[in-house]
Amino acid sequence: MSDWQKELAIYTKNLNKASQDENLTRALTRAVKSYRQNVDTALCQYPHTPNLAEEVRAIKEYSMAHNKELLEKAMQAIESNHGHAFYAEDRQAALQIVKDIVGKGKIIVKGKSMLGEELGLREALQEEGNEVWETDLGEFILQLKKDRPMHILAPSIHVPREQVAEIFSKFFQKEIPADITEEVSVVRDFLREKYFTADVGISGANVVAADTGQIVIIENEGNVRLCTGVPPVHIAIVGIEKLVPTFQDAMKVAEVTWRYANYGAPGYVNIISGPSKTGDIEKVITYGAHGPKEFYVIFVNNGRSAMLGDENYRQALHCLRCGGCMYECPVFQITAGHYGRTYLSGIGSVWTAFIEGKESAAPMLYTCLRCGRCVERCPMKINVPDMVGRLRSEVVSD
Amino acid sequence: MTTKKEIPPVLEIIRSNIMEYNNPLALNCRQNSSWVRDLELPAQGEILFYTGGEYQLLPYLAPLLKTLTFIDPASKAFSLLMEGRKLVKIIGITPEKVLAGVLAQDKERYNSINYKAAYILKKLGFDLCYDADVEMYSGALLYELGFWQDFKLYAARVVEVIRKTQAKTVVCLSPHAAEMFKVVYPQFNVFPEFNVKTFIELVWEKRDNLPQISDKSTVVIHDSCRLARELGITKEIRDIMESVGVSYVEPVRNKEWTTCCGGPGKMLFPEIARIIAERRVNELAETGASKALLACPYCLSSLQAGSKQERNIIIEDLVEFLYRGFIANV
Repeated sequence: MSDWQKELAIYTKNLNKASQDENLTRALTRAVKSYRQNVDTALCQYPHTPNLAEEVRAIKEYSMAHNKELLEKAMQAIESNHGHAFYAEDRQAALQIVKDIVGKGKIIVKGKSMLGEELGLREALQEEGNEVWETDLGEFILQLKKDRPMHILAPSIHVPREQVAEIFSKFFQKEIPADITEEVSVVRDFLREKYFTADVGISGANVVAADTGQIVIIENEGNVRLCTGVPPVHIAIVGIEKLVPTFQDAMKVAEVTWRYANYGAPGYVNIISGPSKTGDIEKVITYGAHGPKEFYVIFVNNGRSAMLGDENYRQALHCLRCGGCMYECPVFQITAGHYGRTYLSGIGSVWTAFIEGKESAAPMLYTCLRCGRCVERCPMKINVPDMVGRLRSEVVSD
Repeated sequence: MTTKKEIPPVLEIIRSNIMEYNNPLALNCRQNSSWVRDLELPAQGEILFYTGGEYQLLPYLAPLLKTLTFIDPASKAFSLLMEGRKLVKIIGITPEKVLAGVLAQDKERYNSINYKAAYILKKLGFDLCYDADVEMYSGALLYELGFWQDFKLYAARVVEVIRKTQAKTVVCLSPHAAEMFKVVYPQFNVFPEFNVKTFIELVWEKRDNLPQISDKSTVVIHDSCRLARELGITKEIRDIMESVGVSYVEPVRNKEWTTCCGGPGKMLFPEIARIIAERRVNELAETGASKALLACPYCLSSLQAGSKQERNIIIEDLVEFLYRGFIANV
C-alpha cells in the first residue's frame, strides 16, 4: 500500500470514529442550530450587512492585487508609530523572529490565532524553555487536554462541561464541578495572575490597516485586551492577506467578519497602533505608559504568496475566518475538526494545500462533497468547490 | 523530499472504466438501454433523451457500497472487487453477474425510471430519440475526481457521439449530466452545439398537460445540489407540483440552501456518506411528510439507503410520482 493509501486509511478511520461520537454530534447539532439562529437575527437587525460584505469583497480583491505595496506601507506606518515591523517568508523565519524577541525562560500569555496554530508557535516557544499560556478559554482547555482545535472560532466545541470539569479538577488539583460558571471562574482567577506576571503577550489580528498601521482584533472574552494591554511586550503575528488599504476599510472588514461569525456586536474590538505612550508631562511623548513598552508586528507569508500569484486560488485569501461555512458543511457537521489539519473543512483543504502541500491536503480535498452550500453562506462568496476540483486535478496529475 | 504517492485504486479504476468502457462501473451499453421496451425511440431526431446510464448504475452501487462499509476502500480486497471488469477477461464472467443476485428488485426500479421519464415526455408531446447502441456516460466522475486531462478528451468524444444523433436539444435525466454539458464542458473548451435541458425543465414547459395526481400523502421536496445551486432549478419543481394538484412542504434547509444527500462521498467515505444521507432523511421526515420527492439519481440512491424504517418516509423520484398520474388516467 502506498503512503497515500495508508494516510487515507488512517484519516478515514478517524473521520468515521468522529462521526460516531455522540458528544461531538450533540455539540455540533446545538452549535449549528444556534449559529444559524444568531446569524439570521444579526442579519435581520443589521440589514446593511450583505451589501457591506459585497464592499468588503471588492476591498479584498483590491488588497490582494496590491498586497506588496500595502505591506510596505503598513510596515512603515508601524515603525513611525514607534512599533517594530518584520516580514517572515516562512514558518522557520517567523518562529526565529518571535524567539529572538522573546528569549528564554519567559512567561507568555497568548490570544487565539490560527496563524499561531499554523506555525506551531506555542510548542516552539515552550521548547525554548518559556512558559506559555493560551488565554482563550477554549484554547486553554485544549492546551490542558493536549488536543487540537475542532473549529476555528470555537476550538473546544467538542468538549462537554463534564469533561472540562475532569480536566480542570486534575490540573487545579481540586474538585471543580461540571458547572460552566464555576469552570469559567477558576480559569479567570488562574490566568489573571499570569497576565500580570507575563513578560510577553502574543496575539493575532483579524485585519490590518496599511495607511495607519493599526491592527484590529475581534474578541469576546476580554483575554486579548489583557494579553495585548498588560505585559510589557506585545507581539502580533499576522498573515499578509490581512492587509487592507485604509482604517475605514479595516472597520468594514471587521464588521462583516463578526456579523458572519454570528455576533450582532462582539464583546470587544481592539485597535492597536503602537506601544502605549503618554504626553502628560510637558507634552513630551514617552513610550511605555500603562500598556506595553514594546510593540512588534510580524507579517508572515508561509505559502500565501503562491496563492496570491495564482488567479485560480487567490480568492482563498479573501477568507475572513468567520467560520460560517463550517456550520453549513454536511461533513463538518458530523466530524468537526477531524475533517482538517490546522485549517478545517473545504476552505481549509485549499489552505492546507498551500501551507503544508498538496499531498497533505489530498485526503481533505477528496472529503469535500463539492455540494456548494459553503458558497451560499460565505460573505466573500469564495468558490471552494471550484478550487477543490482544481486541486484534485493537480493531485492526480502531479 | 517526499516520495510521489499513488492515488487510491478506486479512483484509478473508475477513471479507467470510463475511459475504456464509457461507464464508471464498466456496465455495457446494451444492458443500460434494455429499459426502452415498447417505446420505439429512433436513434436520430430533434430531441435526444439522454440517460447517461446513471439511473442504471445505481443498483450496482448500492450493494457495492454495502461491501465498502466493511472493506477498507484503500485495501487490496477492494481493488479486486472494483476490478470486476478485468475478471471478464480472465474467467469470462461479467461484473454485472458478480454483483447480481441481490439486486433484481432495485434493478427493475431504477431501470424503469428511464422508461417512465421517456414515457412522460412522449405523452407530453415531445418526439424523442435515444442512442441505445452507443450512449456514453457524461464523464462527471472524471471531472469530480480530478481526472481533468482525461475529462477533456472524453467530453469531446461524448459530444461527437451525440452529434451523430442530429439532436438539437438534449434532455438530461440526471442533473449531473446537464451540469456537465451546460456548465463544465465549455470550461474545457468543449462546446456542445445542442441545447441542454433537464427532464424537469421539459416537463415544466408542458406542465398544464400533466394529469392530476390524487396522492393523499404529505409530500416534501428535496432539492438536489446540482439542480438547485448549479442549474438554479427550484421553482420549476414547485410549479409542477401545483400543476398536478399536489400540495407540498419544505424541509428546514432547501432550494439554494439544500442539504447534500452525501452521494459524492460514497466512493471514498461510504460511512460518512451514509450518515449524511440519514441526517438529510431526518430533516425531510421532521416536516411530518410521508413521501419525499427528488429529481436526481444519486439523491434517490443515497436517501433510499439512508431511510430507516422507523422514519417511515417513502423516497421517490419525481419521475415515478408523475408517471403514476398517467397510469391512473389510462
